[in-house]
Amino acid sequence: MGTLDDFRNKEFLDQITILNEIAGSKDSANLPALVDLLKNPVGDTSIDYMVVNALNAVLSQNEADTVAGMNDSHPGYRILCIRVAGEYGFKSASSTLVSLAEAEADPDRLMEVLTSLARIADPAALPVFRKYLSHEDPFIVALCIEALGKLRDLESVDYLKKIISDSEAPDRYEICDITTWKAVEALASFDTEDTLTFLVEKLHHKNPTVRRIITDAMTSIGSPVIPLLLTAFETGDTDMKILTSNVLGFIGDKACADGLVAAFDKGLAEDSNVRYALYEALGRVGTMKGIICLVDGLTEEDELTLMSVVGGLEKHVNPGIVAKLSGLLAAATDQSDRLAKAVINSGAVSLFDALYENEGAGMALVEALCVSKDPTIIDQFRQLLADIGGSRADDDIARLPAPEAGAQKALAADDSRSMCAMHKAILTDLGFEAFVAPNGQEAYDFIEQGEDFDIIVTDMNMPVMDGMELVGKIRNTPGFEDTPIIMVTTESEASQQNLAEKTGVSAFITKPFKPEELKAKIQELIG
Amino acid sequence: MDVELAKPFIKAAVDVLSTMAFIHPKVGKPFVKKNNTATGDVTGLVGLTGKQSGSVSLSFTKDCAVAIVKNMLGDEIEDIISDVKDAVGEMTNMISGQARAGLAERGLVFQGSTPTVIMGDNHTIAHLAKSPIMAIPFTTEAGGFTIEFCFE
Repeated sequence: MGTLDDFRNKEFLDQITILNEIAGSKDSANLPALVDLLKNPVGDTSIDYMVVNALNAVLSQNEADTVAGMNDSHPGYRILCIRVAGEYGFKSASSTLVSLAEAEADPDRLMEVLTSLARIADPAALPVFRKYLSHEDPFIVALCIEALGKLRDLESVDYLKKIISDSEAPDRYEICDITTWKAVEALASFDTEDTLTFLVEKLHHKNPTVRRIITDAMTSIGSPVIPLLLTAFETGDTDMKILTSNVLGFIGDKACADGLVAAFDKGLAEDSNVRYALYEALGRVGTMKGIICLVDGLTEEDELTLMSVVGGLEKHVNPGIVAKLSGLLAAATDQSDRLAKAVINSGAVSLFDALYENEGAGMALVEALCVSKDPTIIDQFRQLLADIGGSRADDDIARLPAPEAGAQKALAADDSRSMCAMHKAILTDLGFEAFVAPNGQEAYDFIEQGEDFDIIVTDMNMPVMDGMELVGKIRNTPGFEDTPIIMVTTESEASQQNLAEKTGVSAFITKPFKPEELKAKIQELIG
Repeated sequence: MDVELAKPFIKAAVDVLSTMAFIHPKVGKPFVKKNNTATGDVTGLVGLTGKQSGSVSLSFTKDCAVAIVKNMLGDEIEDIISDVKDAVGEMTNMISGQARAGLAERGLVFQGSTPTVIMGDNHTIAHLAKSPIMAIPFTTEAGGFTIEFCFE
């Protein structure tokens, strides 16, 4: 006698027990009776759902029946078999699934069939996935791209490249489609020189989300992409040099720093903006060659560039760095003043701690600290001096100006630590109480907490929330409709600025800039 | 396979809203967001754990959320704020439940947390995972809403 005989007349609890047992034993003898229960449901939702579960379990052991069921006349059973074939990766199902996919017109059912085919991952399905790359439903296209990526279908490379290139069209670049996202991921997974070179070229994609996805993909690929990035650095324009430096810094491999130092030695970082990005990358990686290059960078005169050098060295303080810096600081030249200012403004407490022992260097640093108008910076170093202790430190603490809050408030957002420090120094210099944040989200948090700002300075490209979105949100916040917002950008492309202007940016300033330029712009805006 | 995960939620959203609130949403073109925040006036957020973990949010505009409550409760609205909160939480729960059942039928088993409802004009909330977020905009006669997915 079969387990399911007279099932419909049994008690609810017995029915549950029986179905649970079948789901556990997966006994094929129950298949015909279960299929009958699926096609003629008992009408109780929980029982009907358990029938599906039990059937799934039994079919998982019966590949041939599952494949046959995919052509059954009952639509529910058909879909169930299609799903089971995908879930358990039944290879013999792929030819039937391919013919089903070719004939299917309903997008939902097509999605089911393609999903199962993608899971089975049989190369025989490649033509079907290629065919539906031009389907109107973006989910179906995205699924096909994923499958082609998984199957390493090199024939689709050109089409995938086209998807990414087409997404830069003037009427499309403002939005990152899911198909563009999947195309980037698929090309990255192919990992061939051709696909990776293409992605490196597209580091400068017009859409910030696509740029971020490409950057993330390269960062996770790591080593294979380093030579391509270095070539792009050497041959590319200023923007390309900056973008590749950033990615090389994120990858953080020794080869990244070595390559960047070699390019630097060849004189390929003449542009101060490029040097700034290069120093930041070297600071992230921190190899011996990179640190030597950073130490050489201590002769930089531009305030911002010098801050990226100091910021980089701050992460790798060693006796060599300390000896060199102590000498430079104690020399009492113009460069000593610039260096001291850079250490203070970038809040380089580890360097300060190590340098303070040298009396001459300590004096130069404390002098720079005394003219700082930034209460947070002063507090930070006051605390450090207290920890260092001793009579010289006590005397220096007594010399520090009492912190006073600025009457007007300013907000600056930038993911670069040295840029943040620079903004802070400029804003406090102008008498603002300055708030800084490493991304748009944290910047907006200040506004949500009820802070009111007289001026806002933001970077364009930042993680978590970029400048564009931050500006959009600020403009939609009551009370901030007319607050002047300055966007700092390295993008030379007009398209980006148009987009930013539409979002509500009041003025732009292009990196690199002299502190006076930003000061002048701020004063012009707040009148 | 993010795309595969998204479909059941879309279907569930359309099903639940049309059966429970008599609102018939139209699916817009999905897109990717780089930041991990959801924006809206009323948001229901569910955390999902299983083979992959992540979060799904449904962010409604104020008009859309109010329309849902009116359709569900008719003239029985007592306190619009708490009713909206309750209704969006309930909707999110039902959509999450139905979608998870759909995924389970494909062998993708997820546990869902109890929904959290966040209210406040144009607020932002953070998704758990750092991966790109897929956003699917919907339009209804009463205003729009967005479903967002984020899976590790």
